[in-house]
Amino acid sequence: MNKAVTVSQEDEVLSEIQEQSGRRKFFKKTAAYSMSALAASSVLMPVKIKAEKHHGQGDPAILEEQVWGTTFGYPVTHNLYGLPSPYESNVTRRTTELLSSGNMYASIAVSPIHELSGIITPNGLFFNRCHGGTAEIDYNKHRLMIHGLVEKPLVLTMDELKRYPSVSRIHFIECPANGGPEWRNPQFPSIQFAKGFMSCAEWTGVYIKDILKDLGLKPEAKWMLAEGMDNSHMGRTVPIDKVLDDAMIVWGQNGEALRPEQGYPIRLLLPGWEGNLMVKWLGRLEFASEPFYAKEETAKYTALKPSGKAIQHFYANEVNSVITSPCPEKPWSDLKKGDVVEIEGLAWSGMGTIKGVDISLDGGKNWKEASLKGLVLPQAWTRFSFIYKYEGKALFLSSRARDDAGYVQPSVKQERDAVGVEGVYHRNGIHTWEVTANGEVKNVQILS
Amino acid sequence: MFKSYHKLLVATTLFAMLGTSVVCAADKTVSRTYENGKKVIDGGMTYPVYKGKTASYYMNEKAHGGAVNFGRKPTLDEIKAWDIDVMPDGTGLPEGEGSVEEGDEIYEAKCASCHFDFGSGGSGYPALQQGNAYEGQKTLTNQRINPDDDGPQRNFGSYWPQASTLWWYIQTGMPHPAPMSLSDDETYALVAYTLSINEIQIDGEELDDEYVLNREKFLKIVMPNKDGFEPKIDGPNGLENARKYYDNPKNFGGNKERCMKNCFDGDPVVARIQGVGISEYSPPISIKREKPMPKEGSKAEHPGKKAYTASCAVCHTTDAMGAPAVGDKQAWEAALKKGLDKVKHNAIYGINGMPPKGGTTLSDDKVSEIVDYMIEASK
Ligand code: HEC
Ligand code: HEC
Repeated sequence: MNKAVTVSQEDEVLSEIQEQSGRRKFFKKTAAYSMSALAASSVLMPVKIKAEKHHGQGDPAILEEQVWGTTFGYPVTHNLYGLPSPYESNVTRRTTELLSSGNMYASIAVSPIHELSGIITPNGLFFNRCHGGTAEIDYNKHRLMIHGLVEKPLVLTMDELKRYPSVSRIHFIECPANGGPEWRNPQFPSIQFAKGFMSCAEWTGVYIKDILKDLGLKPEAKWMLAEGMDNSHMGRTVPIDKVLDDAMIVWGQNGEALRPEQGYPIRLLLPGWEGNLMVKWLGRLEFASEPFYAKEETAKYTALKPSGKAIQHFYANEVNSVITSPCPEKPWSDLKKGDVVEIEGLAWSGMGTIKGVDISLDGGKNWKEASLKGLVLPQAWTRFSFIYKYEGKALFLSSRARDDAGYVQPSVKQERDAVGVEGVYHRNGIHTWEVTANGEVKNVQILS
Repeated sequence: MFKSYHKLLVATTLFAMLGTSVVCAADKTVSRTYENGKKVIDGGMTYPVYKGKTASYYMNEKAHGGAVNFGRKPTLDEIKAWDIDVMPDGTGLPEGEGSVEEGDEIYEAKCASCHFDFGSGGSGYPALQQGNAYEGQKTLTNQRINPDDDGPQRNFGSYWPQASTLWWYIQTGMPHPAPMSLSDDETYALVAYTLSINEIQIDGEELDDEYVLNREKFLKIVMPNKDGFEPKIDGPNGLENARKYYDNPKNFGGNKERCMKNCFDGDPVVARIQGVGISEYSPPISIKREKPMPKEGSKAEHPGKKAYTASCAVCHTTDAMGAPAVGDKQAWEAALKKGLDKVKHNAIYGINGMPPKGGTTLSDDKVSEIVDYMIEASK
């Protein structure tokens, strides 16, 4: 378009606005007439007119005018806090009674990882594990107290806490029981349940070490209790090493306040470590010389080995990966022989940064290197991609990630040989999908 | 043969050495040790600040110098009010007492509706005992390799290393619908009862009905599985033990091998889901892009509904616990034969498995409003 024309049109608009008061009277007078004229000519019959213009063969989605193109959309006053399109309503967290302690107050809602793109989980889809329901805390009545083996105990309002210099980091949070129901056998015909006890977001908050600088941590302080203010008053013991390395108190999740499901107004963030350690609805940090032995670090979140001894204080979630496309929810049943298709997935490691991912088409007998794509960050979801020419025959598709700490995902057999099948937590054996000859995808385990 | 083999070996060692030294010298952005020279405690990596960045993130180093200070010192009463944890050495454990028999009564009133008689658990609710704890502890080496193998018993008595955890958890987490509502003496009584149903002895003594537990006796409890956990985190070497433990991949099943070709013999051995597996999900799985149907005739919400959902629905959603289920017309008609006042009285003061006010501290009026809602929703 010619620029001069645009400018002159703008002028017209301006002068129109100046004349508005005068013109309003005119509009009023003619309103009745123009409304009926409009109604007759266009509002009632746009679809018909268009349909008459474009007969013929083809996709009605192209040939016919659609209601959204021929009427107003919602005014900007609608949904001032935006919501996803109603057509995306099946993209949602899901629950099952078998993953709850008696009722839905101590349970988990899992993330639809097959529907996510990139490495960020939208806040409404972030998985939610809680032990006494999702607390709805009044921001104004919430406090953070830091005490115990510090020279100067401290209490902060949320506004005061947010005055500290902030940092933003992208990290996954994974429940260490992700994949845990499948130690003995595959159980879920679904990626959402088999691997969806995790999500990844950009978190904003403060380093705990920055707050501690002024409080004078006593030399005998070795452990920190973090405690939530919700129904469960859940506590967990964190070693001082992590507190002084990269532990954060976060209030921001993907640019907005934490969702109540994520511990609004604040939660603990320990990059890469068990989700359960990242106490939500955080209210209290206490420093001590001995560990605290809370229920969720003894009764639960401990991994029993065949020796009868259980691993306690099992901190980092080890290197792991899963193919998200195809998967049971997103099969290849629409593919034709010869189609070139992307195998895509997620890799992550609580111990560091993903170095690479291998793909196997024969259940882990032979491997080829996949590409990483997008951002590759420490303790964050990392996307991988592998281009495959579909041959219409059955496959066992597996992925195997490795990290910069030198760890490589073990096979199911290696993992079972090492730690048995009763660990419940920290299962990171190679995940395999069986793709049948007609493109259906099934959850299997390769025991070779 | 020997010679060339020798050469090969030397070559690979040299290469390996070169490889590591090159990585160490060049890459200051990632490290196995913290600034203080200690290995990273979880066996992984840390990302020191190097040239104004940590990993890929730029940072304002001046912002982290400790000059920013906000907040105030809490009062001693404030600390006392919030310092609710109980540690194995008795830190945080108040004085008080309660007998097994008293515990039994409180248990019946406030716990049995979920944890069932004698803490046997069920319907998803955890069991608080599975018989003699000392015997149960011996099952911890069990592995369910075959479908009918017995699993390890992981309940309080057989598994938990410390009794302090139970005291702390019961007082601050239970009863589930109304935590922080038990007195110290009630908690002692419930702990005594839980110990007795697990047949745990204190100082060689069994806990019969008359046994009165107090702080002094509590601190003598030695749990059967006290030594069942690794790494050892107690005492002055706790942190170093954890560090050493995670430095050795063998301890937790870490793998460093990356096989690329012919990684196993023959065809893969495949384990498949048995039957339909666990496939009852809410909502059911669908990847269709469809607009949900509008909810039919949405009326204004009853004022009692929210509190009902929060405090009563756990027991009243179904009749599994003997409670009249909301929506069950007959059950409520039967209950109302006593008259509305009596029904409300029972809701406020409790009856059989119905704890007073459902175990909450709601006002009488609020409970009455909830009962109105329950009746309304069951017509
Ligand atoms: C409304 C149901 C309900 C009531 C009533 C209830 N509990 Fe619980 N209890 C639970 C649930 C659910 C859990 C598991 C919580 C979780 O997973 O975090 C639990 C866990 C426990 C545990 C830990 C068990 C384990 O092995 O992890 C103990 C101990 C316990 N309850 C004791 C009690 C006592 C004592 C009372 C009575 C004062 C009580 N509970 C009342 C539902 C209930
Ligand atoms: C721990 C489980 C539990 C909780 C929580 C609970 N109830 Fe009940 N309720 C019961 C049981 C069991 C009964 C049946 C008692 C009987 O008649 O034997 C019952 C019965 C009742 C009745 C019928 C009384 C009658 O006279 O027949 C009312 C009304 C009632 N509950 C209201 C409530 C309200 C209101 C709440 C929440 C504030 C609540 N309940 C929470 C277990 C529970």
